[in-house]
Amino acid sequence: MSAFDNDASKPEEEIDPHFEPIVQVGDKVESKTMEEDEDALFKMRAKLFRFDREEGSWKERGTGDVRLLQHKTTHKVRLVMRRDKTLKVCANHMISSQMVLKPNIGSDRSWVWTVLADYADDEPRQETLAIRFANAENANLFKEEFEKAKAINENLKEGESSAPAPSEPAKEEKTDVVGEETKPTEEAPTQDAAAPEEPAAKEEVAPATEATEEKKEEEEKKEDTA
Amino acid sequence: MDAQADANKLVFKLVLVGDGGTGKTTFVKRHMTGEFEKKYIATLGVEVHPLDFQTNYGHITFNVWDTAGQEKFGGLRDGYYIQGQCGIIMFDVTSRITYKNVPNWHRDLERVCEGIPIVLCGNKVDVKERKVKTSNVTFHRKKNLQYLEISAKSNYNFEKPFLWLARKLTGKQDLEFVAAPALQPAETVVDPELMAKYAAEMEAAEAAPLPDDEDSEL
Repeated sequence: MSAFDNDASKPEEEIDPHFEPIVQVGDKVESKTMEEDEDALFKMRAKLFRFDREEGSWKERGTGDVRLLQHKTTHKVRLVMRRDKTLKVCANHMISSQMVLKPNIGSDRSWVWTVLADYADDEPRQETLAIRFANAENANLFKEEFEKAKAINENLKEGESSAPAPSEPAKEEKTDVVGEETKPTEEAPTQDAAAPEEPAAKEEVAPATEATEEKKEEEEKKEDTA
Repeated sequence: MDAQADANKLVFKLVLVGDGGTGKTTFVKRHMTGEFEKKYIATLGVEVHPLDFQTNYGHITFNVWDTAGQEKFGGLRDGYYIQGQCGIIMFDVTSRITYKNVPNWHRDLERVCEGIPIVLCGNKVDVKERKVKTSNVTFHRKKNLQYLEISAKSNYNFEKPFLWLARKLTGKQDLEFVAAPALQPAETVVDPELMAKYAAEMEAAEAAPLPDDEDSEL
């Protein structure tokens, strides 16, 4: 019996039956991530949920790294999250001025926000999302960086539209209706300042990113021993 | 969309079988949307879902035929297996009978789809009170199956069945999953009417607690 047990405890990979392939595939291909022209301003492990309107409850959407990516030429920042292992996209949207991170009931490490068009799937979808971090500290770090990204995008937009279309103030009023606290623009850099702001943000974030990486490794070890 | 990706597009029919309640549909949903469905709703007949994966050898789609596990809802049964190119037989490690029935599922599948690569999946390994231990699982050895222990709940090994099948079907042992393209999102125009509508949803969402607070994976 004990001999059996020993035998079975061998890694599963050792028993690997052979099959003839049924298709001819060529060489490896470089597939595009569509993130090639972007820099990550922020990265942290998290769990994402989407709100199911019909059921009035949350559904898991994925676990992995949430990242804020800034385009190298347009400087716009979007939020992208991929699931562990399969690396499929579970969140992909621009960070826009009407987005407000609100806490989720009874949790000090989660945020809720609404997205008008999320591009995780083939078709853009309106989503109410929630994101949960390992602890409140991480959640607050995310919020800080999210707000910074929002300010960057808002300033870019103002820079864009101020010359040709002076309708910007009206738009701002509209967003107030949604219940956003009127954000003073003091912390928001002007468009010219947006570029130097970017490396600074990165420096701040670097240690946190390393910490998450370590955690991930630990977690993988745990999995292996399980 | 991408011309190169199109040229390399690989599509396989995957037949997913096993006793009712072993977690076949939950496993497929986990891959489709990320959700973990706790409710048990028996599958009637079959549900076909395409599951896409980006690999270092191009894009692969598994058309997963998620078949009814319960006999009374079986529908066409092995009629669904025709032209299956690979398979997953699922059992529940917390239920001995579901493992005992594995040979029946295998026999039926093999009868229609001879010699296809099949993964035997022991699901729910996150549960502490296991009834079928790893050392009890021996069926795969004599029948040339790959055995994998998985948990749709904790995501343990949840990508492995597809990875193994993809490697066998293509003959590429170094096939890996790679990042799928994240298209540039368009900017949205704020419509106050819409925003008011979503504000109500936002309130409901804030007041609805998030599920399962453990997060061992974070």
